[in-house]
Amino acid sequence: MAVQSSAAVAPTGNNPFLRLVAAISTVAGWCSAGMIVAAVVITCQMIFIRFVLNGSTVWQTEAVVYLVIAATLIGLPYVQRLRGHVNVDLIPLALPKRARFALCVLTLSVSILIVGVMLYYGYDYWHFAWERGWRSDTVWGVRLWIPYLSIPVGFGLLLLQLVADLFAVLKGIDTPFGLEDA
Amino acid sequence: MDPLLLGALVAAVTIMVLFSGVSVALGLLIVSGGFLIAFDGMRSLELMPEILFGKLDNFALLSIPMFIIMGAAIASTRAGADLYEALERWLTRVPGGLVVSNLGACALFSAMSGSSPATCAAIGKMGIPEMRKRGYPDAVAAGSIAAGGTLGILIPPSVTMIVYGIATETSIGRLFLAGVIPGMMLVGLFMAWSLYSTWRSGNASVLSAGSYTWRERFEILPRVLPFLLIILGVLYAMYGGIATPSETAAVGALLCLVIAVVIYKLWNPADLWVVLRDSTKESVMILFIIAAAGVFSYMLSSLFITQSIAEWIGTLDVNRWVLMGAINLFLLVAGFFLPPVAVILMAAPILLPIITTAGFDPIWFAVVLTINMEIGLISPPVGLNLYVINGIAPDISLRTILVGSLPYVACMVLAIVLLCLFPGLATWLPDAVMGPGR
Repeated sequence: MAVQSSAAVAPTGNNPFLRLVAAISTVAGWCSAGMIVAAVVITCQMIFIRFVLNGSTVWQTEAVVYLVIAATLIGLPYVQRLRGHVNVDLIPLALPKRARFALCVLTLSVSILIVGVMLYYGYDYWHFAWERGWRSDTVWGVRLWIPYLSIPVGFGLLLLQLVADLFAVLKGIDTPFGLEDA
Repeated sequence: MDPLLLGALVAAVTIMVLFSGVSVALGLLIVSGGFLIAFDGMRSLELMPEILFGKLDNFALLSIPMFIIMGAAIASTRAGADLYEALERWLTRVPGGLVVSNLGACALFSAMSGSSPATCAAIGKMGIPEMRKRGYPDAVAAGSIAAGGTLGILIPPSVTMIVYGIATETSIGRLFLAGVIPGMMLVGLFMAWSLYSTWRSGNASVLSAGSYTWRERFEILPRVLPFLLIILGVLYAMYGGIATPSETAAVGALLCLVIAVVIYKLWNPADLWVVLRDSTKESVMILFIIAAAGVFSYMLSSLFITQSIAEWIGTLDVNRWVLMGAINLFLLVAGFFLPPVAVILMAAPILLPIITTAGFDPIWFAVVLTINMEIGLISPPVGLNLYVINGIAPDISLRTILVGSLPYVACMVLAIVLLCLFPGLATWLPDAVMGPGR
């Protein structure tokens, strides 16, 4: 079944590495929530200026879009820690214990690989924007390396959380896919 | 490799990967990355972060976290219980008033909260014990709440519709309006079935019950009106041309948070954090799937799969209703296993050209697709609502809940058939309010 429970959190079992990663991911989650709230407030301010004061707005729309993107990417590790990324565990549920363990190690490893790819090329993309001084083609003309920074940061932190998840499963601190033993 | 064969291979691999327990978004990235490396070479991976970022670079997406905050703020309060009580007090004279008010409360609350499991929990906690106490059959008590909870993805404001609008570049305002009449039609069908099956079970006497004084009726109103006014205000602002969906949603989110704090006294920072945490979690989850699905559809079109499938269907020369039937069947099966957002994002880029070539209206199709997704929400193995009901009424067996929900699934299928016969049910209101167009 698609699991999306609100109570589950990746256990850390008092392991210092897992606790450190959990703390980092949680801080990332606070940042992400803060950016979403900031987006709400800025949008309301924009509407106030436009419809109540009849003024014109320059930077708000763009800022809000970049805030939501950054909130998404930087929120990734926290949502991973909360087991909030929906998945379908039909195959794991059908497997015996050992095969389930192997599948979990495999899926986590492949996830780490793809997130690593995103981190590598995401860093490249950010670095390009930074080196060449790209700016958005709007009136505000924001320096694009600032919003792009969320790509390597978000995927970097997600990579860290996934490595911690793999470590926890290998060490037996967490069960494969967070499922109870069948 | 022939693009069609490649398409079949992609479909098979995607299903395997998604069922393996990996998260949906990462699964889509894995499949996209794998096929891009295999058929386009390593260098094609370079573009992935840029496409992912570009997919999120859209002001319309802002409405998703905003509507989710709005819903989470409402769901964290007693608003569900109040709404239920208010409807019950006002509808006691109506035959079967209890089940009617339960379904009405489900429809309103799920539209406001946008969350199907939250609706089942909020309304079901009060409604199911009350219905059973008054002698309604267990199957009706459980089934009506399970089905009622699914209405939120059809009745505006609906995150599912926003996602469809973004994936297919159709007007979110039109999509919202298109869901209104079919949504009310479904509520009507659900009510009709509930009353009929209660009457048939020989407990017809329970259909008339209790009475309240006018004082009791009026004193509950102040507690439910604020949220209802916000929802109406948001919709008015959108259709009055005052602001875009994203902007009104932001105002709605702020107002709902304020009301939750002021009227429902949600001023403990820890409680407030729970609302923010849950909205962040859900928003990030959905937005990441949207971004990853963007990479996925880039992979499909850069390997010419999307185009070839559309061309192939064009050459098949089947009756368009047979085609629509096949598409519905496909969506239904996909909805049994995958969350609605994922189905829409993966299927829309492939299905939309087919749909429009066959002469179907994409707005109308959104409604049909959404009802399909609703069915998935109350069907095994994923049907989250069934498990929520099982959680709040543990002494009703999962089997009874399942059997009780089946007639409501039939109502939804009937609604799809009616929509096929009378497409105006979905398209009339958007055309009437926003002018015929597109």
